Amino acid sequence: MRLEVRDVSVFHKNRLGIAHANFEANEGEIIGFIGADGAGKSSLIHAIAGVIACQGEIVFDHHTYRSCKEAEPLKARIGLMPQGIGLVLYDLLTVDEHLRFFADIHDLRRDDAFEAYKMRLLQMAGLEKFKDRQAGKLSGGMMQKLSLICTLLHRPKLLVLDEPTTGVDPLSRIELWEILEEIRRSEGTICLISTAYMQEAAKMDKILLFDEQKIIAQGTSAELLKTVESLCYDPDTPCVEPCIRTLQTLYTLSPLEATSTQTPTLEALFFVNALRNGKTMPPIVLSDKKKSDFEGDVLMDAKGLTKRFGTFVANDNVDICLKKGEILGLLGANGAGKTTFIKMLLGLYPIDRGELRLLGKTIETPQDRQALKASIGYVSQHFALYNDMSVQENLLYFASMRGLSSETANERIKRYAQELGFENYLNALPPELPLGINQRFSLASALLHEPVILFLDEPTSGVDAIARAQFWELLKCLKEKWKIAILITTHYMSEAEFCDRVVLMRQGTKIADDTIEGFYAKHPKARNFEEIFLEYFR
Amino acid sequence: MRVFWTVVARELVRFIRSWQLVLVVLYAFTMEVYIAGSGIELKPRNVAIGYVDESGGGLSQKLLHYFHEPEFLPPVAFNSQTALSQAVFDKEIVLGLIFDEDFEQDFRKNKHATLNVLLDATAASQAYTTLSYLSNIVLNFSDTAFSVELVTHKLFNENANNATFMALTELLSITTMLSVILTAVVFVKEKEDGTWDIMLLMPVNAKSIILAKSFSQVIIVMIGIVISVGFVVFGAFDTPIHGSFFAFLVLAFLYAFTGAGIGLFVAAIAKDVMQVAQLSVVIMLPLIFLSGAWTPIYAMHPWLQTLSLLSPLRYFIEGTESIFFRGTPVLELYPYFLGVFGVGSILYLIGFRKIGHLF
Repeated sequence: MRLEVRDVSVFHKNRLGIAHANFEANEGEIIGFIGADGAGKSSLIHAIAGVIACQGEIVFDHHTYRSCKEAEPLKARIGLMPQGIGLVLYDLLTVDEHLRFFADIHDLRRDDAFEAYKMRLLQMAGLEKFKDRQAGKLSGGMMQKLSLICTLLHRPKLLVLDEPTTGVDPLSRIELWEILEEIRRSEGTICLISTAYMQEAAKMDKILLFDEQKIIAQGTSAELLKTVESLCYDPDTPCVEPCIRTLQTLYTLSPLEATSTQTPTLEALFFVNALRNGKTMPPIVLSDKKKSDFEGDVLMDAKGLTKRFGTFVANDNVDICLKKGEILGLLGANGAGKTTFIKMLLGLYPIDRGELRLLGKTIETPQDRQALKASIGYVSQHFALYNDMSVQENLLYFASMRGLSSETANERIKRYAQELGFENYLNALPPELPLGINQRFSLASALLHEPVILFLDEPTSGVDAIARAQFWELLKCLKEKWKIAILITTHYMSEAEFCDRVVLMRQGTKIADDTIEGFYAKHPKARNFEEIFLEYFR
Repeated sequence: MRVFWTVVARELVRFIRSWQLVLVVLYAFTMEVYIAGSGIELKPRNVAIGYVDESGGGLSQKLLHYFHEPEFLPPVAFNSQTALSQAVFDKEIVLGLIFDEDFEQDFRKNKHATLNVLLDATAASQAYTTLSYLSNIVLNFSDTAFSVELVTHKLFNENANNATFMALTELLSITTMLSVILTAVVFVKEKEDGTWDIMLLMPVNAKSIILAKSFSQVIIVMIGIVISVGFVVFGAFDTPIHGSFFAFLVLAFLYAFTGAGIGLFVAAIAKDVMQVAQLSVVIMLPLIFLSGAWTPIYAMHPWLQTLSLLSPLRYFIEGTESIFFRGTPVLELYPYFLGVFGVGSILYLIGFRKIGHLF
């Protein structure tokens, strides 16, 4: 059993999906596809799964195909899980009904062997207790596990997974990986997996690096890391040549004569590749701002906030406070109640119990909120913007709704466009833009009225490594220059390190609240924040 | 006030940018109205006739002579009754006439002859009007002792032109449909795109947003009505208007707001555009059924007649008919204005409050 991809190119109408891809995979291997959004991973994945036509040829198990029709005889041995949480599931069917449904559409005989295999999958996914729960009521992580075992039900020999772990919390991610490890060992399945998490890529047998519709490098994690070993330095290293400086690392094109304490990660490959293509990260310079009227130190103080949906308690007695000039990270698994908490702070959900003070005022009535709306900025999970208006029009509209005069609005839009680096995109429509640009311009729309508190709900999900590094640099700048308080949720554990303080949530309750230094002091053995996080959830 | 106009302008720009939607609305207000006016025909037209003539000709041929275009196609002769029945069954023939052997003899001798008619009554009303044509033709032949001649005076729609009435009714139904759906979609789009939360977080009075959004859609519907009346009702069908056009516009404006109110209600319940479509149909069909658009109100069951008082479309249709066909003076139109305004403001208030709860 062997997969060969020879010179495969995919076109979506006239737009190039992926050009001249070549690689091979042997029985039981896990191949990782890493790269930014729109780099061509999904195009190649769909071509290999035989759901879109391609040029070149794909050979699996001595059978060559390049179109859906030619791949048809192989479909019984291929399993595809498309991108997006719960996309292959039906909200109203239970876990068990899903398994029976997928067995039926693959025309599997439901004999004892099948039942035994099904039970094994359920146990691996930890879903055996939830057999009768409807899929719509599962958490994001459980949905992904269910999707995976549904895809595994017909024992495919080639498993193709498109970003199965995006938007899934670290714990569920580890469980998904355990299932995959087990399957490839016992069934000898070839697994192709695209991912946005570099730590996962390190576990794979071979990594393909995608950038701008091409595979720019492939090899084992160790081989790839070797190529950038001498190009990563501490962030305060002086450098005059082209380089990219992020909060943690300085990336260069050629080795410097400085010592480095950095252990390179796969992310370095993207920065170095960007440098090779002549791209640099423009430094972020924010202009000064007049001091805010609010003099106190604690901007937000929540005591015992509780939110119930029917009998389900989404937030139970959560106390969190946020100080001026502080970045507070809110971390937890899917469904731990992070978004619910932010929505309560914003007044999008009524508070069932507890007390909330914003800027020193207790919030009791909608009128209290109305007055505070001018001091709060919010970026939601999906960068909610009006897709049929250009960037400029979006910003003007928001400014006008905020009651800014058109001169002030125009002046601020111009300034943010320069400072946040989306000047060239002002006349484009949001759907045409890369996610990283949309992210910055949603931030600009949240900053137009110069708030003193920012709430950011997963602003970095699905954004590529470089854009994320820039985003964090920007947040740091906002914090230092403007003393804005920022509450942010994220699934990237590496980003927790940039926060001043981190709150961990599990099943609606707060389980830890400390500074980053505090966490490391309590867990001296931990090498990174992901390990600390897992300590709490194991 | 600035916020109000910003939102109105934004919604209008968004509408114009989505050219598919513009096309659909234009189509509904022009072609759809035109097709309803010219396409729905209750008079017989191109009816296929077959006959079996065993009487030997003469009278039968004379009779057949009266069936001419455009109402009827040239009659086709069949050899046997079975062949004719088969043709009717195969939908080749709609009206089959059987002239017996004794047909002419009976007519001449006894003055009482029987003509057997096979009629495909699938399209019932067409079939019955065809039948009444046939009776009229046959009546011309018989000398009846009973001689009363009818002299009809057609009032209000002198040519008894079905097109103008159908077109106008269709226009009113389309107004209902679009004012409901467009308004609902404007709100539900925000839910779908996730911009709803952003909208809620603006330091803006929720009432002015709701009003502005529904007002923008009312403007679109009003423009559609003016285009439709100008090009189709006046242009294509040459409908006379005896009353005040301005009064019609005011009535339409009030009515469009009523529709927007129902739209608000739908938007408060629906989660996505798909549900808007489903819900709108469920809510609008009874409104249209009960309005007298399809069946005159006096022909309904007494219960339904009472219920129809609740349909704002009823007042709109009756008011519009009075303005166009009867030329009722403006001041005498007050029941219709009161009706649309009364039922309309209740519906708008319900919708407004329902969606206001979400803010």
